[in-house]
Amino acid sequence: MRYLRLTIAALLCMSLASGGANAQSADSSESSEYLIKAGFIYNFAQLVQWPPAAFAQPDSPIVIGILGVDPFGELIDRVVQNKKLDGRSLIVKRLKRGASLKECSILFVSSSEAAHLEEVLQSTKGLPILTIGEIPGFAVRGGIINLTLEGNRVRFEVNIEAAKQANLNISSRLLALARIVPQSADGKRSE
Amino acid sequence: MLPIRKQNHGSPTVGRRFLSLTVVGLLLGTGASAQSPQGVPDISHMSIEELMNVEVTSVAKRPQRLADAAAAIFVITQEDIRRSGAASIPEALQMVPGLEVVRIDENKWAIGSRGFNGRFDNKLLVLIDGRSVYTPLFSGVYWNVQDVMLEDVDRIEVIRGPGATLWGANAVDGVINIITKPAQATQGGLVTAEGGTEERTAESVRYGGKLGNSAFYRIYSKYFEWEPSIDATGKAAHDGWNAVRAGFRVDTKSSGPNALTVQGDLYDSDYKETLTIPSLNPPYSSMFANDGDYAGGNLLGRWNHSFSRSSTTLQVYFDRTNVLDNSLFTDHESVYDIDFQHDIHVGESQELVWGMGYRSIQDSNGSSFTVSLQPNHSSLNQFSSFLQDEVSFFDRRLRVTLGSKFEHNDFTGFEFQPNVRVLANIGKNQSVWAATSRAVRTPALTEEGLRLNEAVVPPGAPPFFSPLPVVEAIFGSTQFKSEDLLAYEFGYRVQVAKSVSLDIATFYNNYSNLRSAEPGQPFVEGSPAPTDVVYPFVASNKMGGGTYGVEPFVEWKVLPKWRLLGSYSYLQMDIAKNKNSLDPTADNPDGQSPKHQFFVQSSIDLPKHFEQDLSLRYVDSLPSLNIPSYYSLDFHLGWRPGTHWEFSLVGHDLLNSRHLEFIPEFINTTPTEVQRTVSGRIAWKF
Repeated sequence: MRYLRLTIAALLCMSLASGGANAQSADSSESSEYLIKAGFIYNFAQLVQWPPAAFAQPDSPIVIGILGVDPFGELIDRVVQNKKLDGRSLIVKRLKRGASLKECSILFVSSSEAAHLEEVLQSTKGLPILTIGEIPGFAVRGGIINLTLEGNRVRFEVNIEAAKQANLNISSRLLALARIVPQSADGKRSE
Repeated sequence: MLPIRKQNHGSPTVGRRFLSLTVVGLLLGTGASAQSPQGVPDISHMSIEELMNVEVTSVAKRPQRLADAAAAIFVITQEDIRRSGAASIPEALQMVPGLEVVRIDENKWAIGSRGFNGRFDNKLLVLIDGRSVYTPLFSGVYWNVQDVMLEDVDRIEVIRGPGATLWGANAVDGVINIITKPAQATQGGLVTAEGGTEERTAESVRYGGKLGNSAFYRIYSKYFEWEPSIDATGKAAHDGWNAVRAGFRVDTKSSGPNALTVQGDLYDSDYKETLTIPSLNPPYSSMFANDGDYAGGNLLGRWNHSFSRSSTTLQVYFDRTNVLDNSLFTDHESVYDIDFQHDIHVGESQELVWGMGYRSIQDSNGSSFTVSLQPNHSSLNQFSSFLQDEVSFFDRRLRVTLGSKFEHNDFTGFEFQPNVRVLANIGKNQSVWAATSRAVRTPALTEEGLRLNEAVVPPGAPPFFSPLPVVEAIFGSTQFKSEDLLAYEFGYRVQVAKSVSLDIATFYNNYSNLRSAEPGQPFVEGSPAPTDVVYPFVASNKMGGGTYGVEPFVEWKVLPKWRLLGSYSYLQMDIAKNKNSLDPTADNPDGQSPKHQFFVQSSIDLPKHFEQDLSLRYVDSLPSLNIPSYYSLDFHLGWRPGTHWEFSLVGHDLLNSRHLEFIPEFINTTPTEVQRTVSGRIAWKF
């Protein structure tokens, strides 16, 4: 037992001695899935370029629409509040199925809309809207970014073809981290 | 803290707390729903690369929203632990509705779920980072050695009711899942020091850093010493203890489909107690100050691999426990465990989880006159597999989960533990769930091979009037079978208003083959001298009956900076011996668990980074132990000026100068009284 104590004392000293330097961290104790996903969406907003025509004014806000049942709650509002990207503020709007999506720059399609995906993607077709989903096959079926959970981490798929159709320019940094998925034959047929 | 804030995906707060194992383990660390708005971390400064490294689940299996869990679940977050001022895991568990958490002496606890509480409670499964700490020796938990660096705990998930389909035999009345943060979430240094009346001086150190570019690590060490409590007469008792512990955890960065975790701990704990043991010579019993030691360690590795539509997890661990109590019993136990699990998404509405595992247990023990175990060396093998499928209908508004565990153990052979669970979301703000499950509690080594000499009746004394001393002894039996439970559960959750939510769980448990102690044929024993008569009581399965209860829980955010929680637990136990039982002991365990308990907590964020918490707990009387009911008032005042320092002042049990909480069964150690205590703590992060 004495030996164990000595070992532990040594460990203590070691850990103290190694302290100090480069000790910054993101304490992820609050690593709720949707807090993290809100962080992803905020990052996507920075790494995607919209065509100038997508905004009425140089300072028009970036509208993040959440379509269907909202899994974020206040988390996403807190992430984007008081933030500006190229002079644009970010605002979050909750939308019901059938609502006009035209004012959105980003549209988060909730998993509650899984059964109506074709309809939703039809209604954003040709508009400069970054569609983000968390539905299996979302990107393959014509959505632009699909968030997935792989093991314990959030990952995402990008459909480059769909981004081009929406006239959005996705940064290479984002693409390098993404899993690139092709548009399915079904998706093409539905165009 | 409220595990369920709202009833479906649409609620503003739902999704912050998640279940990992279908119905069991909560997945995302988050204290978000439990904490004040400013407590939600600002993650907008994190790059996408950093976000990809954040682990949002820790103990395997697929995520499930807490509000969508068809089980009675409660989550203690890191924030809850911090604000409760809890200094140990049992103290943190005191806030959970439906649990009974009582202290026997400074170093012994009795913790149970939905009845049958005792020091050797055998129906509650406890896991730390996926490692079972349920000892096969007596089918219970050594609570005094189950410790972690509390600051590194991500959350403690508590499931009341059976979790056997996923967790296996012995998850009968509940599962407690203690989950620590991944190493990347504990980077940098932390030093804490604590001191207070009665109890404790405690110090801990943790440091986390990077291992090259591909992994994170942390190492920690902690030491505490608790001073003796007082006995029933108000004198200092012999129940002080201390423990020293150190450990590490390494997690790889998850840039690819693979994630690897390796962690381990070493500990050593010295304890004191007042022990009474029988003797064959006058005065036939002796009470003395006894000292003992617990030491051990564990090492665990977990590898997760993700495919596009499924993921696999392989976990291996080794756990060693040494119990050295030279006046009573020594035990050396080694557990080797390997588990594999595969989660598959089938289409859009079906999720399948299956797994298999093997556990090998090596036990060797040394006896005393009081306690002996046959054989002195044993080796046990357990094989298990499980399959569970969740299918959802109507846009995931209705979910049906069906599954079963299949296990084989050396005592009772094959065990089958199925369950079916249904959850329905009604509108946006309500959900109901119902479940039926079977769980078994498999025999422990002691139930097969124990001999415990409980008492020696002097020659000529009642009730035997024997010319020789009579030893009343409890014997294990190879005939002892598993205890069985059929559980029926029902729950309702509703968001009453934007700031008020309610969660009600009810249950009816039907037990059969519960343990009784049947009188056997007395016999004469010549060794050890002097010659005596042994009056045996043999472990048997002649008890059964029902328990039922209701556990409502309310959370009310009165103001953004003021939160109120309230919970109440009602428990009715109707356990009785079967007609053919001759067990002469009092009828049943009904009177050892409180019928009524409630807990109320107020948490306020004050200006200038102060925070104040006050909680009141009521525990009903325990009639068969003659323990009166009591109220316990706890207080916490914290101050966090900036990010580096935290100061806190904690008061425990402020209403009573002292009170008794429990009287232990089987091993006759003198219970001591819980005293009013005040302590202070400083934490420094760098």
